[in-house]
Amino acid sequence: MAENMEFEDKAKKVFSAERKEDIWVLIMAAITVILGLAGVITPKTFTSLFFQ
Amino acid sequence: MSDNNDGIAKYFPGFILCIILGWISLQWDFSIHKWQKEYQACEKILTKYTQDRKPFLPFAEYTAKSDEKYKEKLAAFERGEIKEKPKKPHLLKENDYNALAATKEIPFKYVFGEKMIEFQLTYVAVLLLGGMLIRNTVGLPKIFQPGAVLARPVIKPGIILLGGYYLWSNLLKVGFFALLLVLVFILGTTVLVAVIGRRMKQDDGLMGVMAAGTGICGVSAAVAVAPVVNAKPRDFFYAVGTILLFGTVALFTFPYIGKSLGMSEPVFGAWVGTAILNTAQLVAAATWYGHESLLTANILNIVRVGFIPLAVIFCIWFYVIKQATSSEKQQKINTWQVIKEKFPLFILGFFAMVTLNELGVFSEEHRTIFGKQFLQIFFAIGFAGVGLNIAFDDLKKAGGRAFIIGFIAATLKAVLSAIVVMLIGTEAFRVK
Repeated sequence: MAENMEFEDKAKKVFSAERKEDIWVLIMAAITVILGLAGVITPKTFTSLFFQ
Repeated sequence: MSDNNDGIAKYFPGFILCIILGWISLQWDFSIHKWQKEYQACEKILTKYTQDRKPFLPFAEYTAKSDEKYKEKLAAFERGEIKEKPKKPHLLKENDYNALAATKEIPFKYVFGEKMIEFQLTYVAVLLLGGMLIRNTVGLPKIFQPGAVLARPVIKPGIILLGGYYLWSNLLKVGFFALLLVLVFILGTTVLVAVIGRRMKQDDGLMGVMAAGTGICGVSAAVAVAPVVNAKPRDFFYAVGTILLFGTVALFTFPYIGKSLGMSEPVFGAWVGTAILNTAQLVAAATWYGHESLLTANILNIVRVGFIPLAVIFCIWFYVIKQATSSEKQQKINTWQVIKEKFPLFILGFFAMVTLNELGVFSEEHRTIFGKQFLQIFFAIGFAGVGLNIAFDDLKKAGGRAFIIGFIAATLKAVLSAIVVMLIGTEAFRVK
């Protein structure tokens, strides 16, 4: 019974963590899209991150 | 308050390590692709010289001639004589051209770049193999571990951004086949493992987590189903060990098996989308193979994770409702509740991107920024997390008869799905 409770707790934690994770993931993607559409990030932004 | 700060602070070292490893691997990828381009340009010139016996032109003439050819092709494209817009040719720099003319040999670093790409040692391989090597040799100090775990889901914004490459029409076309594959193979494996486990008189707890894990979505499904089927901690670790072991073996072997079987990129994408259980691992294998492969695998993955609630509902029915005595039969599955709790939200972001693309919001430039460049940044950080979390000690936890059932079921699914996707063919799975 105790083991079962432990799993229920773990399952709840995993899924509430995944929910939070998904919300952060959506925010990160939305910020990237907004910056891209606004022209703040351009194709040159990526290449400028590396040594040529 | 200080607890809260400690909570966040503990993720920083590992996450920063993943960003650094991600940057190093992308720099590596950037360099080898650049060298490969130079190699191809050198080879083209040398072929003309050796096979066609044409002399080396002076550098100015070489650039002028290439430019002229490009303009001719562009004009032909504008007249509608050729379908594809020609790409601007990659020209060697003057120093490189003159060195090639003098030595008639391609410089070593360009040959090296070509070889690395031939062996598929791109940023994906560097991060996965490198991360695994670090974790299992020098080890990952505890201070880095929480952040390395946190880095894995950074793959998901990449998956969302990739949505900008699809139109609803091609999503529905490939999605139709994806749905068939998911129904037959993924839910089929869940049912098969559950039924075989019952026939072989295996413990319900163990087989329940194994069925959900090998069938649909790896560790998350195993955790979701564990309380439903009264799994013991030992059962849970056996199942998770089996899932991780299969995923790791698949991740490192499937790209080479795909190449040796001559699978096209879309076919390989459909295969890994069906056969590999874990999002991070299947995205890594597909990216390793090529961009078209990733586009197809992503659709399979979206359909597959959308089925997580259904797998949980099946396990509740198979292990709880079906076995309950008539007096206990009052307990019903609250289907809507399960769907609401287990549905992966990030899929909605992917669909939003497809809709924006359908509405013409994105230009070709936007698609490059989102679906290639920033996708690589997100994937690189996530893959660093995946590689650093492949610990052989975890894989050793697989064991027992359930391991054999789980591993055989997953292997059978991989073999059968390979045959089926190859028979269905490239065009059905091609996104564009």
